[in-house]
Amino acid sequence: MSTSTVSTPAATAPVEKRSALAPLGKPFAVAGGVLGIVAALLPWVTFSLNDGNWPDKSTLQFFDAPFAVTGFRWHVLLLGVLVLVAAFAPVPSRGRVVRALGWGLTIVSFVNAAYITVKGGGLAAITALDGATAFGSVVGLIAGVLAILAGYGIGIEPVGEWKFKVSTPVAYLVLLVSFGAVLYAVAAMLTTGGVGASNPYAGAIFLSFLGFAGGVLGALSGVGFVRWLSALSEQHRVFSVIVLAACALLLPFTDAGNEYWMTVAANIGIYAATAIGLNIVVGLAGLLDLGYVAFMGIGALVAANFSGAATAHFGITLPFPVAAVVAAIVAGIFGAIVGSPTLRVRGDYLAIVTLAFGEIFTRSAQNNIGGITNGSNAIPGIPPLSLFGAEFNKSISIGAVKLPAGVLYYVLIVLLVAATMAVFANLKFSRIGRAWIAIREDEDAARAMGIRTGKMKILAFLIGATLAGLAGAVFAHKNGTVSYESFKFLESVTLLAAVILGGMGSIPGAVLGAALLFVLPEKLRDFEDYRLMIFGLALILIMRFRPVGLIPDAHRRAEMIERADENAEEAHVEAKKA
Amino acid sequence: MRKHSVKSAAIVGATLLVVAACGSNKEEGGTAGGSCDTSKGTLTVGVVAPLSGNLSALGIGIKQSAELAVDEANQKCTVKGYKLTVSAQDDEANPAKGAQAATKLSTDPNVVGVVGTLNSSVAQTVQPILRDKKIPQVSPANTNPTLTRGNDFLTAPKRQFDNYFRVCATDDLQGPYAANYLVEKAGKKKIAIITDGKTYGAGLAAELSKQVAKKGGQIVGQETVGEKDTDFSGVIAKVKALAPEAVYYGGEYPAAGPLSKQMASAGLNVPVMGGDGIFDPKFIELGGKEGDLATSVGAPTESLATAKAFVDAYKKKFGKEDYAAYGAFSYDAANAIIGALAKTIDGSAWDESKRDAMLTNVGSYSGSGATGEVKFDQYGDSTNKVLTVYSVTSGKWKDVQTGEFTG
Amino acid sequence: MSVLLQQLANGVIQGALIALIALGYTMVYGIIQLINFAHGEVFMVASYGGLATFTLLPDDLKKSPAVALPLMFVGGIVVAVLVAVIMERFAYRPLRNAPRLAPLITALGVSVFLQEAVRVWYPDATSNLPYPKVFPEGGLSLGSVNIAWTGVLLVGLSVGLSVILQTYINKSRMGRAMRATAQDPDTAKLMGVNPDRVIVLTFIFGAVLAGVAGVMFGGYLNNINIDMGFQNGIFAFTAAVLGGVGSIRGAVIGAFIIGLIKTLAGQYMPGGTQYDYVWIFVVLILVLVFRPQGLFGEPERVRA
Repeated sequence: MSTSTVSTPAATAPVEKRSALAPLGKPFAVAGGVLGIVAALLPWVTFSLNDGNWPDKSTLQFFDAPFAVTGFRWHVLLLGVLVLVAAFAPVPSRGRVVRALGWGLTIVSFVNAAYITVKGGGLAAITALDGATAFGSVVGLIAGVLAILAGYGIGIEPVGEWKFKVSTPVAYLVLLVSFGAVLYAVAAMLTTGGVGASNPYAGAIFLSFLGFAGGVLGALSGVGFVRWLSALSEQHRVFSVIVLAACALLLPFTDAGNEYWMTVAANIGIYAATAIGLNIVVGLAGLLDLGYVAFMGIGALVAANFSGAATAHFGITLPFPVAAVVAAIVAGIFGAIVGSPTLRVRGDYLAIVTLAFGEIFTRSAQNNIGGITNGSNAIPGIPPLSLFGAEFNKSISIGAVKLPAGVLYYVLIVLLVAATMAVFANLKFSRIGRAWIAIREDEDAARAMGIRTGKMKILAFLIGATLAGLAGAVFAHKNGTVSYESFKFLESVTLLAAVILGGMGSIPGAVLGAALLFVLPEKLRDFEDYRLMIFGLALILIMRFRPVGLIPDAHRRAEMIERADENAEEAHVEAKKA
Repeated sequence: MRKHSVKSAAIVGATLLVVAACGSNKEEGGTAGGSCDTSKGTLTVGVVAPLSGNLSALGIGIKQSAELAVDEANQKCTVKGYKLTVSAQDDEANPAKGAQAATKLSTDPNVVGVVGTLNSSVAQTVQPILRDKKIPQVSPANTNPTLTRGNDFLTAPKRQFDNYFRVCATDDLQGPYAANYLVEKAGKKKIAIITDGKTYGAGLAAELSKQVAKKGGQIVGQETVGEKDTDFSGVIAKVKALAPEAVYYGGEYPAAGPLSKQMASAGLNVPVMGGDGIFDPKFIELGGKEGDLATSVGAPTESLATAKAFVDAYKKKFGKEDYAAYGAFSYDAANAIIGALAKTIDGSAWDESKRDAMLTNVGSYSGSGATGEVKFDQYGDSTNKVLTVYSVTSGKWKDVQTGEFTG
Repeated sequence: MSVLLQQLANGVIQGALIALIALGYTMVYGIIQLINFAHGEVFMVASYGGLATFTLLPDDLKKSPAVALPLMFVGGIVVAVLVAVIMERFAYRPLRNAPRLAPLITALGVSVFLQEAVRVWYPDATSNLPYPKVFPEGGLSLGSVNIAWTGVLLVGLSVGLSVILQTYINKSRMGRAMRATAQDPDTAKLMGVNPDRVIVLTFIFGAVLAGVAGVMFGGYLNNINIDMGFQNGIFAFTAAVLGGVGSIRGAVIGAFIIGLIKTLAGQYMPGGTQYDYVWIFVVLILVLVFRPQGLFGEPERVRA
């Protein structure tokens, strides 16, 4: 994944504002880059910490062995080099690139410094102790801050735009390589730091990697590559989805292919599929649903009761595909029922109605309504799926390759996510999807244009709930137990957060959001107690600073930017008045 | 390993003064830990319990008590050649999260056994995952009889999971024992039942009501409250109209304490009785009144030297006595795993082929723990069937009757 | 019969508590059309604030209710007001012109954050905490009906404070500014009303009432936990909607109706107290669908 973007013609946007930092831009960038490289070669910790050596030989002087840089120091080195390259090469939107790389440097340095300081019991661990010195993190931090300032000095120009076209084979190749890189990055992200328990520094390694990846991604985005790529993938949608699914199916063959990560990935997939369903309701139709997880719960309960588990209540055992369809239909019916107040209720009142339905579901399930939920005893012992004699929870071998247990679930869920994505994409660009977006923008205008808004809104609920019910059916068999506790209000909020974090109305956004919200807690066991608090804070901050989410939907982005401009204009007028 | 260079020495010169005051926790002599031989590496005792959320007080008690047992084993060199650690995974009292936590532990070849879970509903998802890897699971707190003996636990008991053991008594002993005391000893014939509807509380109350009927008492009514409720006035008004002579509460102390207090102020002055879930000083703090009753597993702490030793050691290590309702059980559970491990290894090296022997050794483990004798029967249940009835007397739990349930 | 009377009394007390919280919802919604989802948590935080105040008191003061009790109220109210003002300033104010869903999602975030902050940082807040016994013990006995003195106090405070609030809003200059802002913020601004001040003041009023409610909740039920905010917040919100959002009188009457529904449904409806919660939600849905303006609210001109 290198920035092979140098030769591309960039739209030269004029820089409007020049800050006081302007003349310092380039020198700062050069200094930041050089210091970054220096930091990578300095030791980072003064002694071997009590929990074990800080990863990647951090007490070593790499000036003595400059070619043995690994792990986070390798990342720092890479970032430093990239800053230098960006400072001199004709890169579009150089300010953004340098700033993003600077943030990467800062985060990597800060995370490592903070962890070493805490684990090492004081600042001496990252400065000097008993004659041993370790200023790597300090120098790294300085380098990062310099690069950020350099970015502002050079000027934050609009994201570079790449106007050139490529032929289809080339486009396919670019997409293949890019998605391959994404696969590599995902596998690396999952496996960095190992499986928590075995490595006391897993959290730090992971966060540090995230900082690095974020910096590089920010730079790529600044240079215009990401936008170009997403346009390209939009253009070749079918091919992209196939490649993406293929990449996802290859994950078990990477380092992340162990039972643990297969389980986590499968759970993420289930929530991602549910989040995509929610995205139809919230992102496309603009109807805030605060009780959405109830549909997943209904699907799971239905599937559990038809699964042949000892405590199932219907006395009928259906094969999984049939049970899943029934679960989806039942959930869909409930979706239509919950959606029916939308005929009369709008906006945040509707949100409260959905919350009320969600709470009614939780309470009823907890109290074992109709004897079908088993209350807080849950429905355990749901048999794992099997296909042609292969049990989904066992490991399988293809030829000489032994795949970890749970891999079949993973495959099933990847297919499920791909299917929901396809449903979502097709709906979004269909007549129905346009009707939903129209309703979201202005319901009265939509009705005036002849859209049957009531029908459309209920349809949104119905389809969203159906997808959630399907995901719930898989959830039931995957986890083997269905308990009302898995479908509480907080889960609804988490799903909503996944949609918002990823970007409302955006397809990859929901997947990314779900992945982040479910991988982070796995990786950051150190912050377990603060997980929900950080989560609440994140909701506030996203709404404040980036309401469009990480991967905004193109249409949505336009809308938000327009609105921001209006606001800016208003502020301008007001300032004049004052 | 640490080499000096001219460049960094220069930086030191400039900043040494500034950082002179900075501390570190560098230890001299490395991190070998004690004087035991730990040359063969580290083995892990897993813990699965709710470490966040509403039940985290109980979960943290379980985790820390297991840590205490592991620490003591490390100091005493119980397992030759190995250092033991605890890997605690949060299940958030959620079966799905419990499955993830169990999978995480089960993929680690160095995990020799798991202490947990707190909730019976979580145990149901954890059991099969650990069984597939032949990892022994010893629960300090699951009281639902079906976990060991299946759905027909009374008529046709059948071992469910050969890797699953527990050190606490099941509801089908504790409930009837309480019933006998209430009806025969205390002479309360009309009993109202309130539960929190959870596996533990509802199961306990169900077993109690069967025995009450057998002994000639009468269940005058049954109500359910939410585990997070704080206002019980509605339930109390309903129960009061039934004029019970005692109220049995199936659940845990966070709701039971306020319930008792609110009953008194609503004019319903009858004793509240519950299981080991309310046997906690917090119950009295939260409003448990004089004369309230609780059953608990094992003989009273004062009569057991091992229990006192546990409490003292816990207090010394963690500063306060927050081992909660299941701390002592967790300590015993961890010790059962450690004891079986010591026997399994016995000088040899650990590898996954030892898992079968490990299971057998846990099954045949026997020792004297903080809750009394620790031993398992053919289903994996604790053989320690001694139960004690406690009563709130001048602001403290005081034992009033100790014995075994005999029918 | 005596059961009915007892449940009616319970319902009225419950209603009094809900009313104090519902007023905060209704006022804020009236002014900036925001469902301040986190208001329930302000109530919860206030309860912990009161408890903390008591814990920090010197031992001899703890023994005299005449000193400790007022101080607990002050402590609870101060904490509630601080939280509300910070919340308004940093979470809601920047979003005043944002799309409608943004502030609601922010409110959810604030709610989760406050709940978790108390759980993590308040000692032993992971499970129910006992409330100090400085409140008057015992109660009124009317035949077989028992009403705790704390219940009587709660009803008195609730009714008294809402009358004062209603008078203030109707009679005072600031009250007029509030009503003007609620009706038409832009015109109010032209008339010299500072909307920021009015909005902050609204939040403060709501927080004061929630503070009183928080401390009284602990006094009446002897125990508090971090979930009390969410539960009672939902009840209060339902009451505000039932009464007609924006109407002070409506919120109070709605609250008493909700309190009565809860206790009576628990007594007489199938499913008993297990489902009393559900009935409140059913009422909420029905009201929103069939009479979204509530009992006393004006039909909304533009619903968005």
